[in-house]
Amino acid sequence: MRDHELKLKKLKDKIENAKLQNQNKNKANPSSSQMGKVLRLAVEIVAAMAVGLGLGLLLDNYLETKPIFTIIFFLLGSCAGFLNIFRVAKSL
Amino acid sequence: MSTSNPIDPIHQFAITKFVEIEIAGIDVSFTNSALFMFIATMAIILFFVIGLNKSSIIPNRMQILSEMSYTFIANMLRDQVGDQGRAFFPFIFTLFMFIFFCNFIGLIPYTFTVTSHIIVTFVFAGLIFIAVTVLGFVKNGFGYLKLFYPSGIPVFLAPLIIPIEIISYLSKPISLSVRLMANMLAGHSILKIFAGFVVMLGFLGIAPLIFLVALYGLETLIAALQAYIFTILTCIYLNDALHPDH
Repeated sequence: MRDHELKLKKLKDKIENAKLQNQNKNKANPSSSQMGKVLRLAVEIVAAMAVGLGLGLLLDNYLETKPIFTIIFFLLGSCAGFLNIFRVAKSL
Repeated sequence: MSTSNPIDPIHQFAITKFVEIEIAGIDVSFTNSALFMFIATMAIILFFVIGLNKSSIIPNRMQILSEMSYTFIANMLRDQVGDQGRAFFPFIFTLFMFIFFCNFIGLIPYTFTVTSHIIVTFVFAGLIFIAVTVLGFVKNGFGYLKLFYPSGIPVFLAPLIIPIEIISYLSKPISLSVRLMANMLAGHSILKIFAGFVVMLGFLGIAPLIFLVALYGLETLIAALQAYIFTILTCIYLNDALHPDH
């Protein structure tokens, strides 16, 4: 009888341990998605700048006002890049 | 572009035509890129056929793998989009498996990495972008345009904020496609360059060889991570389309 109880207690401890380890694993999951978010940052700013520059060049070609819109939209694109970064950073 | 040079790190990305086909003046030749897309698709089908062919309560390794990939994407979609996203599960799952397999098949020597070409990733990202935009307008009507003018912003700032928000929105497909392409291109080039060092240094090549093994491990991580990032960002864009107000 005693032997039985001891065995049961051992099993209970084992289960508790496994549960604890599982919890730790679940906690480790968000950090991997955070790593993904950090890796996103670099491309985000370049892409926004490229889109701004592209839009500016297109508008300038269309309206024949060579440097004005390129400059304006490049600056707006840079702002958009920072906005993107800010949004990613906020969600971390 | 000298093919005679045995250690040309860019040569592995060259497209070669196997069967030349031309329909109405458009070149639709069967290239090595098409071949490896085909191989990836076949590998995915094989993966699930083997994994799920004898479903048992006590699963074997292949069954666990295929079921894990299913639950992984299902959980991701539920966390990011919620119950409404369930309708898009087949698409998201196919997207993830295809990119994942393309990235991994590309890691095998003498193969071709489909996702290292900007046109492939940009077609993915562009189609997702168009689909998500159309979906946003269908679900929310013109209320979707509120995305470009967040509430609580003074009226006199609108001429500045709206173009910035539009550029930020338009940059999504570009950042999505460039990220995947650049990671694959850079990773495979570096692997090839270090493999070249091993050959050039002879006996001393053992040092770059050790580094190459570590780098290969990193590339394996990146191949999985980039497929994951591409998929999770698709989920996030989908969520923005379905619930634009937050």
